[in-house]
Amino acid sequence: MKEVRKLDSNIKTRFRFVIYFLIILVAVIALRLYFLQVMSGQIFAQEASELMLRSVNVAAPRGNIYDRNGKILVRSIPVPALAVDPRIVGGNEETIKILSDKLNISRHTIKEKINKSNISYLERIILKQGIDYETMIFFKENSSKFPGVEIINVFLREYEYGSLAAHILGYTGEIDEERLNMSRYSVGYEGGDLIGLTGVEEIYEQMLKGNKGKITYEVDPLGRPRSIIEEVLYSSGNDLYLTIDIDIQKEIEEILAASILEIREKKLPRSDEYYKVPAGSVVLMSAQNGEVLAMASYPTYDPSVFTGGISSKDWAYLNDPENLFPLNNRAVMGYAPGSAFKIVPAYAGLAEKIINTSRYISCAGTWYGMGHDFPKECWAKSGHGPLNIFGAIKNSCDIFFYQLSYELFLKNNNKDELLQKYCRIFGYGALTGIDISAEGSGVIPDKDWKKEYFKGQTAKTIWFPGDTVNMAIGQGDILVTPLQTALSYSILINRGLKYTPHVAMEIKSPGGETIINLSDKEPEDLYLEADYIDVIEEGLVQVVNSGTAAGRFAGFPLKEIPIAGKTGTAEVWGKQDSAWFVCYAPVENPEYIIVVMLEEAGGGSSSAAPVARKILNYLYGI
Amino acid sequence: MDDYKIKDYKSGNYYSPGSVSRPAENKSYGHKNNIFGSRDSLQQMSLDDRRNKRTRFDFILPALVILLSLFGLLIIYSATKYSMPNNVTDPMFYLKKQGYALIAGVVVFILVQFINYRLVAKLWWALLILIIALITVVLLFGYEVHGSKSWLDLGFTSIQPSEFAKVLMVFVNAAILSKWPREKTNTVSFKKVALSLLVAALCIILVMLEPDYGTALIFFLTFIGMLFLSGANLFYFFGILAVTVGGFFAAIQTGLIKQYQMDRILVFIKPDIEKQGIGYNLFQSKLAIGSGGISGKGLFLGRQTNLNYVPEHHTDFIFSVIGEEIGFFGAVAVVIIIALVICRCFYIAANARNSLGTLIASGIGFIILSQSVINIGMTIGIMPVIGIPLPFLSYGGSNLVAVFIGIAFVENVYLKRELRKDYEIAYDEFD
Repeated sequence: MKEVRKLDSNIKTRFRFVIYFLIILVAVIALRLYFLQVMSGQIFAQEASELMLRSVNVAAPRGNIYDRNGKILVRSIPVPALAVDPRIVGGNEETIKILSDKLNISRHTIKEKINKSNISYLERIILKQGIDYETMIFFKENSSKFPGVEIINVFLREYEYGSLAAHILGYTGEIDEERLNMSRYSVGYEGGDLIGLTGVEEIYEQMLKGNKGKITYEVDPLGRPRSIIEEVLYSSGNDLYLTIDIDIQKEIEEILAASILEIREKKLPRSDEYYKVPAGSVVLMSAQNGEVLAMASYPTYDPSVFTGGISSKDWAYLNDPENLFPLNNRAVMGYAPGSAFKIVPAYAGLAEKIINTSRYISCAGTWYGMGHDFPKECWAKSGHGPLNIFGAIKNSCDIFFYQLSYELFLKNNNKDELLQKYCRIFGYGALTGIDISAEGSGVIPDKDWKKEYFKGQTAKTIWFPGDTVNMAIGQGDILVTPLQTALSYSILINRGLKYTPHVAMEIKSPGGETIINLSDKEPEDLYLEADYIDVIEEGLVQVVNSGTAAGRFAGFPLKEIPIAGKTGTAEVWGKQDSAWFVCYAPVENPEYIIVVMLEEAGGGSSSAAPVARKILNYLYGI
Repeated sequence: MDDYKIKDYKSGNYYSPGSVSRPAENKSYGHKNNIFGSRDSLQQMSLDDRRNKRTRFDFILPALVILLSLFGLLIIYSATKYSMPNNVTDPMFYLKKQGYALIAGVVVFILVQFINYRLVAKLWWALLILIIALITVVLLFGYEVHGSKSWLDLGFTSIQPSEFAKVLMVFVNAAILSKWPREKTNTVSFKKVALSLLVAALCIILVMLEPDYGTALIFFLTFIGMLFLSGANLFYFFGILAVTVGGFFAAIQTGLIKQYQMDRILVFIKPDIEKQGIGYNLFQSKLAIGSGGISGKGLFLGRQTNLNYVPEHHTDFIFSVIGEEIGFFGAVAVVIIIALVICRCFYIAANARNSLGTLIASGIGFIILSQSVINIGMTIGIMPVIGIPLPFLSYGGSNLVAVFIGIAFVENVYLKRELRKDYEIAYDEFD
């Protein structure tokens, strides 16, 4: 009996042990739960939501671009695109293989795109924009088989008028890493975004771009969205109205292209060589306020090749020297201006009192003003005889301007180089500030420029009077852009008021309200002497009536539409001459300024002036 | 022996033990109240009173168990409402299946009360044959889930026989370790220990053939617990424990335990070794539970678990759903309720007044204890990742019905408890 009781009490003790053991286990579990849920609960909650929530941006359409009459030029159209989540698709060879087959992109390219992406800023990568309907249906129907592959909507640019005004409009493309690091694109941009890369698309990027929407999903472990947590709607970008008149633009581009092809058929005088005319440009600007009505550059390109990512073949084509670099906008590139530039030395001479209307300088074909060792020739070898300023402009006499600029040079003091000073007043040597990208500033050579340019070649760093003399007829190292030329004539026409050239007229919200009106900017007053300008204008009128361009305007109703103009033929070392013609009409109350520049096309009068006349014919319906 | 001062509640006098005159059933085993409750209320009743209340039913155990199971239904619905098996659109699919199992469990629970556990235990050899037969049939005709051939397709439903084998083994070993017919005392002889060890080893080896190491571990822990509470010499207890642990390390040394199995064991010590590999389950489970915070995300609102981040979240990782949805307070409450169920089993075991009843009730208690601790410990990263369901809460009909059978017999042990001491009764039933 004793043993039995002992055993029973022994068992009771063991039960107690088991219960203590149970209590300890419960306590350990509770403590562990306390650690997980109470002490580190927030950390875990944070980590869990990072794991589960995924935000994707919803593309917003860029604003449309219209011409001055409200004709649509560029619009955004929604297209399906295939996007992948690099974290999910990255290691999935099978998916990559199918993507490669369906999208016609090599596996290598896909992997490159996936690996190149910096995952920290990229939620997904767009592999192909504008996929076809069948591919879209295939991936939509089999979405469960391809986790991380999505069909999304993106907006692509559609060009109503094809290549028309391509250099003004510019093109769009995916933002690259370099730009992403720039402060300009620091807010609201992510990899894969479509941005304006050139033209007004680039300049007005901030206004044109829409605000992306954002959808925050809860995703399952395979990355498939299960429910929407938050949705922010996108908003379209603002619409841009240009000063361009697309009908005029079309006509001018056609005239320019046709004329260039025509000139290419001609041979140089007394030679078997044909004119090359690799490129040309026309700027049609309003004489009143700096609005650019048309701007053509030949050769041109079709910006739609950039939609959805440019193919390497197209890119190679656009960059092949044989195709004459169609991406370059010749209207804002620098060229030697030739005689079209002579309004500047003319004004400088009048303003510095070196000449007046009664001072005559005799042209005998050769000028020995700088001594007999440095003869300079006029373009007219036989000479023009004695000329005052009117005759000098009308006949574009070089010797008159040699003498004038030489005297300007002699009058230079240490502070100012006079000719260069007037160049800068007329807007040369600096950006005009036009709102299209890649504008060139040209070159106005002076002492400092020459020192810098010929650094290391001491013999060439000295500024000679011959340099000034050369510059006065638009030769030598001077480079001006057709647009700068148009601006300088605009300053002349407005008697010293400088209107910044621009192509954008106003920006309207998607609802149609005007946000910014870009047209009514106040001009800058340069305080030029109107009397001097009247003198120059008189010379320019004579150019068309009886001067260098008179032959080209024979039969033109100059009585009804008086025109002032200036020819220019720039000699370029190693190349054929460049042809320039600048004109504006009607003289009393000018509406249009036309600048025509044709590379390697011979004389300004013979090649460029007819282009201007065709344009005037169109503008005035003659 | 003088420290035994026992109060006769009828007279209020103290008796010293060994006195022939006092009623045997008034004896107490301990000095003071123990944690099973106040000094057994049974003791406060006269023999006659107790005889009258002999059939009194214990409502606490079934109440706690039904409460847990109903809560389990809610959690299973929450865990599976978005993740149905293929070709199933009913979000209540799992809920319904588990509901049927619960109904079956309750029916079994009631039916069991009409029989006496002693009669069942008397047939222990038949039960042993049943275990062997069940697992052999599974090994021959079963199908594999997650690498274990532990499922048997019965046509109308599939069962996991090893779940039932656990309860059966409790019966067999309880019969072996308890007082045998015509035995003068109920000391636990070497013979009994050896025989029960043999039965346990047989069961363990059979389920390891499936292979189902989790169930094997439960078999072992249940056996070792029953051995401990049988009153067997602690030499046997520690001996078997030492040999098993030694054998485990020997298995690691000799490479009998494979690398992926070692990884599962090591992963809770170094959970960050592989977030996407073997550590993924654990990482996700901890994340889910941790993100529940103090008060949880709300019932049915556990995103982490609902969205399948935690694998097996309706079966082995159901506690992750609990932790995520009802937070620290809720999770601790669930743990405490499970602990109360276990306590109740041990309470009934301690007061069975019959070594057979004691061992059956405590054996079932050990099944629930070991499964709960390993399962919850696994989800919170303090135990190796071992695929074991959480009793009452995990989805799984076999597990629920089996554990209800076990609980039914615990209740039966209470209901048919012996009111006399073992040595006062002749084992009529066994003769």
